[in-house]
Amino acid sequence: MVQLSDIANETIRAEIEEFLERPEEIERNVELFTRASPSMQDIAAALIEGDNETVDRLTAGALADGVPALEIMDDGLIAGMGIVGIKFREGYVFVPEVLVSARAMKAGMAHIEPILAASGVEPIGTVIMGTVQGDLHDIGKNLCIMMLRGGGFTVIDLGVNTSPDEFLAAVKDSEARLIGMSALLTTTMPNMARTVEAFKDAGLRDQVRFMVGGAPVTPEFGEEVGADGYGKDALDCVVLAKQMALQVRR
Amino acid sequence: MTEEQYPRLSGEWMTPRRRFLSALYGGRVDKVPAMTLSSVITLEAMEIADAAFPEAHLDAEKMARLAATAHENLGLDTVMPVFHSQLEADALDASTWWGTKDNWPAVDDHVLTDPDDFKVPSDYLERRSFKAALGAIRLLRKRYPDVGIVGKVYGAWSVGFHMVGIENFLMDTILDPDKIRRYLEVLLPASMMSAHAQLEAGADAIMWCDHANRELVSPDMYRDFLLEMHQQIQAEVGGPSILHCCGETTDRIDYFAEAGWDCFHFESQVDPVKAKEIAGDRMSLFGNINNPTVLFSGDYEDCYEACMTVLNAGVQGVAPEGSVPLGTKMEVLAALADSARDYSNAHRPDGRFVVHDPPAAGGDD
Repeated sequence: MVQLSDIANETIRAEIEEFLERPEEIERNVELFTRASPSMQDIAAALIEGDNETVDRLTAGALADGVPALEIMDDGLIAGMGIVGIKFREGYVFVPEVLVSARAMKAGMAHIEPILAASGVEPIGTVIMGTVQGDLHDIGKNLCIMMLRGGGFTVIDLGVNTSPDEFLAAVKDSEARLIGMSALLTTTMPNMARTVEAFKDAGLRDQVRFMVGGAPVTPEFGEEVGADGYGKDALDCVVLAKQMALQVRR
Repeated sequence: MTEEQYPRLSGEWMTPRRRFLSALYGGRVDKVPAMTLSSVITLEAMEIADAAFPEAHLDAEKMARLAATAHENLGLDTVMPVFHSQLEADALDASTWWGTKDNWPAVDDHVLTDPDDFKVPSDYLERRSFKAALGAIRLLRKRYPDVGIVGKVYGAWSVGFHMVGIENFLMDTILDPDKIRRYLEVLLPASMMSAHAQLEAGADAIMWCDHANRELVSPDMYRDFLLEMHQQIQAEVGGPSILHCCGETTDRIDYFAEAGWDCFHFESQVDPVKAKEIAGDRMSLFGNINNPTVLFSGDYEDCYEACMTVLNAGVQGVAPEGSVPLGTKMEVLAALADSARDYSNAHRPDGRFVVHDPPAAGGDD
């Protein structure tokens, strides 16, 4: 059985020891980072520290050394972001720290994405993401998009202030069947219901799955507006999207 | 408003304005005030007032008429005409989308990348957003001398979100904290000028919005970036001050009290009993009726029950947690004033003053 001390990178060891509390998460991460090569651990550590320049340099270096892009993404970037997500969920870090790590992840993904696209790796599914009408806040949505892309999804980003018609048009244009709606304001949350209603009116409700999220959104509110699932944060969003992708098979 | 719809208390003797101000300072009241601090404007109110969004944001007369529905039609002790959050940012040249009848305005482009490039325009207080808001406050003061008027200011931190972009602003709290301090320093005068102008126009109190809530930043960040600045505001604002901070704020209420705010307007994520326990007598509390579940999706009884819960916690006044969704029904909002009346009737042993029950023993920590 692998031990925490088997992980070569000191930062990763300290992060797991100090911030992870749930036994299953400790076990999963110890296993993951023990399996990951030291250079992948270095990428993850730099990402956790929000050091975008080091992530950029190490990712480029790993690719040059022949490390597969998928391995860098899974064992370096996503693994590091997973630790950041747990720290965020547990209140050890807040949005600024997550944004700085997300910036580092973006620096790494800039090298990875073109390679994955060219190699013809099939996405798990396609997700349409948008902040609902009247709401121009997109930090949460953008974090979700980044994690979804890292998690193997193709994402169509409709941006902010997205009207029900724009969600409808995106579904018609893309044939994507999974929709994520975000809202930060209690004043704009009702527009989630309007979007779901618009799909009912268009006769498309049964063909799609709606995920909702955002700081003031609750699972109960999600149910009230007729959504199929609620995601508490970006990590949750990916888990939810994977479950729903199986349902819509696209 | 008819006597039949809103029966007066037998012992009601304070004007709404006096009641609001007394509660704000934690003083004696004949009735716990029910208030609008952020917007209670609804689509129904727009029909009643014959004044609708988005025109009402930039037209003093329409803004005043619409704001007055809070008192005239909901029986609230206050009115609050600055419905949107663009007052300062629009006058500072941030690009504003003024929304539609059923959608709120928002900043749609961020204009500032360097604090040293910022200067408050010489005609700042004469610009369209201020012309409307200050005009509306003057009209309301003239028409409702006995009703509390709440002015609303976005503080330097939240104006920074608008001007710089929330993502860039928050990242720089880590990457370049000195730059953030400089932003706060140069933006503060714009917020302070807004507060002074609204008080001068006739507002009774200023609700100061700086969004440093747990969903965004740590309590340490409030302490490091805002505490001292908020203490300075108390000395210079020149009127009663209410802090509004969205979301979960339990872990920083102590700092808010330390900053010297007269009152904190808090949201439904915060347990009112816990909030009262932390704030004690240092700062009044107004809040915190949930918007999406209670006011928008709930009915009159849901709202009434939620109000009673927060009143039973001993807060000094009841109000929606933030601006209510525009589709909220006014019949639901009517429970705000009704519950305050009924709670007060049940808590006036001498027939004159409300006496809250002792706070519930112990917190849940």
